[in-house]
Amino acid sequence: MVLLENDSFLTELTRLFQKCRTSGSVVITLKKYDGRTKPMPRKGHSESFEPADNKCLLRASDGKKKISTVVSTKEVIKFQMAYSNLLRAHMDGLKKKDKKSKS
Amino acid sequence: MPVFQTWDEFARAAEKLYLTDPMKVRVVLKYRHCDGNLCIKVTDNAVCLQYKTDQAQDVKKIEKLHGKLMRLMVSKETHSGAMETD
Repeated sequence: MVLLENDSFLTELTRLFQKCRTSGSVVITLKKYDGRTKPMPRKGHSESFEPADNKCLLRASDGKKKISTVVSTKEVIKFQMAYSNLLRAHMDGLKKKDKKSKS
Repeated sequence: MPVFQTWDEFARAAEKLYLTDPMKVRVVLKYRHCDGNLCIKVTDNAVCLQYKTDQAQDVKKIEKLHGKLMRLMVSKETHSGAMETD
């Protein structure tokens, strides 16, 4: 699992989408992250770790290659804009509605 | 493991589930270009909410929900809908 910077993650995610156009799926996972880098301590050990509250973890995979990145409050605005554009640009293989009905 | 038929119900249930325990909930998005479909799943490992679609109009909705949950996760506030500008 490769942990990347936000920009590199977006580049690699673009590549994953391009690779999977003919076959396969792209799976993206989003989860709140508290910044821990060590495994959970066993019972009896006191947690000397201060959980951070402002980060989330994004993972992406095409079944073979796995990438991930951590996004925090400072980066989320910029990242989210680029990420939304990316999703909308690449998830274009779906059916368009024939009727022009806007509900 | 309900698969929702309407987007609104799914979006409301997903946000509600996230707010009950933000640390436990994860969002999974699976896109298949070759089959032309998209599936979004929100789960806390006990409850699993799913929505599947092959409609282009749902991409925007799914991407917006994804972004909303992302912003909720990085904000320190516990209430949703807060737009931080500092």
